Amino acid sequence: MSPSGSETLPRFTVVGNPENRRVALFAEAVTAAGLPAPRVVPWTRVLRAGRTEFAPGEIVRIDSPGENADVDRLLRDVDDPTRVEGTARWYARFLAAVRGLRGGVRLDDPDDLAVLFDKRRCHAVLGAADVPVPFSPTSAAAGAAVDGWDDVRLLMREHRMPRLFVKLAHGSSASGVLAVEAAGRGRVRATTSVELAPDGRLFNSLRVRRYEREQDIAAIVDTLAPDGLHLERWLPKASQHGRVADLRVLVVAGRATHAVVRTSAGPLTNLHLGGARGDLEEVRRAVEAAGGSWADALAVCERAAACFPRTLCVGVDLLPAIGWRRFAVGEVNAFGDLLPRLTGLPGSGAEGLDTYAAQVAAVLCAHSTSPPDARPATAPHPGARAGFARDPRHSSDPGPRHRTGPDHVIA
Amino acid sequence: MAWRITTGFTDEDDGWEQTFERFCSAVDTTRVRALIVGAWECVFDCGPDDVIEALLAARDRLPALRALFLGDIVFEECELSWIVQTHVTGLLRGLPALEEFGVRGGTELAFQGLRHDNLRSLTVQTGGLPAGVVRGIGASDLPALEHLDVWLGTSSYGADCEPADLEGILSGTRLPRLRHLALRNSEIQDGVATALAAAPVVARLEVLDLSLGILSDEGATALLGGQPLTHLKKLDLHHHYIGEELRQRIRQTLEPSGVEVDLGPGDGDSYEEDDGTVVRYVAAGE
Repeated sequence: MSPSGSETLPRFTVVGNPENRRVALFAEAVTAAGLPAPRVVPWTRVLRAGRTEFAPGEIVRIDSPGENADVDRLLRDVDDPTRVEGTARWYARFLAAVRGLRGGVRLDDPDDLAVLFDKRRCHAVLGAADVPVPFSPTSAAAGAAVDGWDDVRLLMREHRMPRLFVKLAHGSSASGVLAVEAAGRGRVRATTSVELAPDGRLFNSLRVRRYEREQDIAAIVDTLAPDGLHLERWLPKASQHGRVADLRVLVVAGRATHAVVRTSAGPLTNLHLGGARGDLEEVRRAVEAAGGSWADALAVCERAAACFPRTLCVGVDLLPAIGWRRFAVGEVNAFGDLLPRLTGLPGSGAEGLDTYAAQVAAVLCAHSTSPPDARPATAPHPGARAGFARDPRHSSDPGPRHRTGPDHVIA
Repeated sequence: MAWRITTGFTDEDDGWEQTFERFCSAVDTTRVRALIVGAWECVFDCGPDDVIEALLAARDRLPALRALFLGDIVFEECELSWIVQTHVTGLLRGLPALEEFGVRGGTELAFQGLRHDNLRSLTVQTGGLPAGVVRGIGASDLPALEHLDVWLGTSSYGADCEPADLEGILSGTRLPRLRHLALRNSEIQDGVATALAAAPVVARLEVLDLSLGILSDEGATALLGGQPLTHLKKLDLHHHYIGEELRQRIRQTLEPSGVEVDLGPGDGDSYEEDDGTVVRYVAAGE
């Protein structure tokens, strides 16, 4: 890359926590593509400023505000970042901050983020788009409000759900998720990473616990409820070598590019809670052997991602039902791309690229008037099949919103 | 070939009985030899009474049925000790030609003594088996039975069996053809082993299986000090808590006679609580 070319190259900016590896990994992908290192705008500054302006050609990526105690305090006023409570406040402040970002070429969208960080709304949007989702009585506006454990019990009876997931509407990374099962004869159990302190406060723990006393479960759910709860039927998932499996599928610019299998001995498969990576090739074979189609499974993820057309990249949690023939979407994650060193699926256009490089390539492709030497040599065109904004609502627009400034990008 | 009939867990799935009805109208049922009953929709709250009723109502259409498993339900659907079962004696009585029968789940499982002339294999997989079932099996006349596999489980999940309850099985008087006996996955595996060390039924066995339970040095010592086991083809002890010295002695005692001894790849799990209490587990509890 000649220094003289740098003025014409796309300029990336990341809103993130500068010390976080997500930011470092994205910056690496940008520089590996022969572009100048991205400008990093810290969340602390964004949150204190209330409003942040970006230059017309600046390509702005919003990354997770997580894993930073100062940022966490600014978002939800808790003294200890391992506390579970405060996600409703987090949601309101996070969205306000996102809406305060002005200008630039955006790889995310405030309205999409508002849905992605509300599991009730997300469930409704997916359902309306005919994406298979587990039944939920709390889906979106028509959904039931859940004020506490008594309401959960009522909904379990009403909808014949002896097993269900109780989730924080605005939670992430399994925080505040309980896998609840109850039998008619009074037996009840919740499997969760929530630790109930003797004084009633709730903490995120790295150890998965099982609560079998209904009063404990009620105490946890009653404390979580003011932050908003989403309830979902617990679909029995397929397993691999005796461990329950699900998939995290990354969709970049409309296309499923990366996938990992997560397996676990219990109902929570998150890697930080003892989940382990499973064998993707084996999953693929199991799906085909069951008479299903791997391409269809990926297509489900792409359909889920298509509900968020102004968002470059989402991580879809794909739940294989027992038998590996049917799939449902558990969640769609805005910041689901932290899958270090994982390279793209064969045929996805992101072969050889990690999740960050694939996004950089997709952006360069979408703004494909950029000079050839600005594109990574190994990058084909992940966005070729579908620009990341393929929202039919905008089909008559001159161009999707994220493209408002392509000329400036290559100025 | 075995057919497995199960209900799913989504709202659009049919109930078990409807699925079975569809199955019966879709295949030539006169040729069905083996059926596996998967989950029924209320498995958390009610036993498979309706399933049994449907099977018995269809028995004339299933003249070739020889093998039946009731409750092939995996832990992600419903954990072992949460599966609600029911009386299965009527089912066995109603299917006199059955040669193999298996059932999973101990909660509310009931089995009364009966005579069944054709049953060759009986399997009862539980995380906690009521003593009444053990006594019921022991009180049954099963002249054709060659293979008996009973998972006794733990008291946390309803097991209340004591070695004395095994008497009917251990005497072997009603099980003349028994060749393979598994009394396993037990919290009282040492007591079971001790009882077996002097049990008449052992002489006619080819395979003795005490695996999956909490078998420790105590039970191993009793086995070594009891009747000879050198006539066995296989002694299965995998998932155990036997110390290295006794493992060696078991191997040295039995392997020269050609007995295959399975001591597994390692010990069962244990967990030390804060007060120093060591907790040991059976392999299949929940």
